[in-house]
Amino acid sequence: MKLLYRILLLTASSAALFLSVPAYAQENVFHLKPGAHGKICLGCHVDIQEKLSKPFVHTPVKIGQCTGCHDPHTSNHPKQLAADTSKICFKCHKDIVPSNARSVHKVAREGKCVNCHDPHASDNKFNLLKSGNDLCFGCHKDMAQKVASVRFKHDPVEKGCINCHSPHASPGAEHLLKNDVPDLCKGCHNINAPIFASKHMGYPVGNAKCILCHNPHGSNRAGMLFDNVHPPVESKMCGQCHESTTSQNPLALKKPVFELCRSCHSNMVDDALGKNQLHWPFYTKGGCLICHTPHASKETNLLNAPMLKLCGKCHSDTIERQEKSVTKHEPIKDGKCMACHAPHASDNLMLFNQTSVINLCGSCHEWQKHSTHPIGPKYTDPRNKNNTLMCLSCHRAHGTPYKTMIPFPTITELCIQCHKEYKR
Amino acid sequence: MIRKLSGLLLLLAALALPASAFGAEAFKARYITTVYTDDKGVSISQPGGLACTGDTLIVSDSGNDRLLVYGYKNENLTGGKEIKVSQMGYPFKVRRNSKGDLFVPDEKQHRILHLKPDGTFVEFLAPADLPDAQTMDPKGVALDAGDNIYILDIYSGRVVILNPDGKFRRQIEFPKDYGFMSDITVNTRGDILLLDSVKAVIYSAPKDSNTFSPLTKSMKEYMNFPVAMTTDTKGNIYVVDRTGGGIVMLGLDGSFKGRQLRLGWRTDEVYYPTDVCVNENGDMFVADRNNNRVQIYSTENP
Repeated sequence: MKLLYRILLLTASSAALFLSVPAYAQENVFHLKPGAHGKICLGCHVDIQEKLSKPFVHTPVKIGQCTGCHDPHTSNHPKQLAADTSKICFKCHKDIVPSNARSVHKVAREGKCVNCHDPHASDNKFNLLKSGNDLCFGCHKDMAQKVASVRFKHDPVEKGCINCHSPHASPGAEHLLKNDVPDLCKGCHNINAPIFASKHMGYPVGNAKCILCHNPHGSNRAGMLFDNVHPPVESKMCGQCHESTTSQNPLALKKPVFELCRSCHSNMVDDALGKNQLHWPFYTKGGCLICHTPHASKETNLLNAPMLKLCGKCHSDTIERQEKSVTKHEPIKDGKCMACHAPHASDNLMLFNQTSVINLCGSCHEWQKHSTHPIGPKYTDPRNKNNTLMCLSCHRAHGTPYKTMIPFPTITELCIQCHKEYKR
Repeated sequence: MIRKLSGLLLLLAALALPASAFGAEAFKARYITTVYTDDKGVSISQPGGLACTGDTLIVSDSGNDRLLVYGYKNENLTGGKEIKVSQMGYPFKVRRNSKGDLFVPDEKQHRILHLKPDGTFVEFLAPADLPDAQTMDPKGVALDAGDNIYILDIYSGRVVILNPDGKFRRQIEFPKDYGFMSDITVNTRGDILLLDSVKAVIYSAPKDSNTFSPLTKSMKEYMNFPVAMTTDTKGNIYVVDRTGGGIVMLGLDGSFKGRQLRLGWRTDEVYYPTDVCVNENGDMFVADRNNNRVQIYSTENP
């Protein structure tokens, strides 16, 4: 019994010791000759020898432990790696993506470390492939273009993305930010400085979310406001919507949101409320802010998100249908929901912005208005005497699992719905 | 004897097991007929809502700004008389109380019309003591067995409860973190049910309760975008899946019992349905809006 206990103890402590040692430091697993280590490998892999002269060398490479990552004999993984490419780095760098992270860089989550790091050696710190923003802009090309082209630049962005973002994961904030907004911004911007108050018309916005109005990556507007600014904000007439700065609660709105918006946009609101079909969220107490942001936005019409994302918040099933569709309908793919739908109200079914579906589709597909299967008010749908034939008699505008957005796997199956004589 | 009896019981249990195991598939809808026109042959247009009893079907023929009243008994449809009043703009739903009075939410006017059974206009529901009455936006209306009126006010995020005379009794706030409430109904127990289209969840408030809590989890695995619901005499709930083109049946406790119908244009199919009504005989009427017709099915359920 005592012997068994000792064996178990020995096994457990050996296992603990094994687990505590970095993978690359597991001594002589392959029974190499004394002093051999990486020297044997470098005999053939002379390119690695050259890399060793670079200023930043990966520790296992530096100490000649090629077997820390590679299996010298056989492997099921590329480059004869000792484990899956997406997992091998995490054998040593265990905590690089904390399990409780609020946001994680996609490449880090997927274990594509080599997208940013050279596993052997590099001229840049942390074995990075490129230095500074050049590395990030290699993937984030749109951002690179915007940052380079804007008139008013944000200094920390110029100096390096990692001033605000963590490259692997952020335990405390979204978008890989090092801290939540506004605490992150307050690291540089003194909210108690007189200029801060004067720029914000004396309103106590020190703890507001700066990125509701300001574009942190730079902008073409003074004050780095987003490109589309609500006119009262632009003309610094905050008091048009908010209580005065001397009131007890200066940020409070003068009226409930819908009524407040209506006080300027009354023509549009009255017009919408008089239509047969209302987009119901429009007429609710917080209605306008379901889709719009009140101060500034990078989207047109002060939308609070790109249209596909915005509409998809409620109509996720419709957006998913498009995503799964074999044929993509261009306006939806491009997030132009308003190409067909009126966002507030309409007299037409499905909030279409034209009475005739044929004319609506024809505004892009002009040729098919007159050179296609008979469609229009003169042609009754053989399947339903109360319907006339139109584009939606055969297609679903948000897509189907079948080509050309038809609701059946084959064209034959579609046609024999009406042309039963051809059914085989 | 005991051994024989035990054996028989075991056999019965074994036979009963599949029935209970496949209970979720027990909801069946058999197509009966389609309503295309009124009594003068005028086509129905964009029917939005329905009310029904054992022998009556009322259709809100929204596209023609009118209601239609049909007789329906033993699978025979008769009539189709028009109710059209000047106060009616775009009637998108209709509900009926025990006396035959009609309550019609109007999408164009954002008000609810109260009509007599013969179609005579009585009033727009406007309870005097209702807080924030000027901004009420009625998305739906429901009636209980005692003819109390329940209004789904999406502007203020509340259910407004009126007594049968239309006088304000009380209000219940919508639950926190709801997506968008599309419909309201009251079951035979007096529980108020709310349908959240965005989250695909039904909330319930037991009779006399002042709060709503979820009756179901998200039902997105059974439906795409639910927009309307009704209950039958047993308390089963029927939910209209508009973009998916189907009716989902749930038990009194919100458990899934089955899904029927199919998206399409053919005789027994539906295309963007918007309302459902089930009468005491188990006849199920579906407002087949984008097909401009009303579909009638008989139902079988556990």
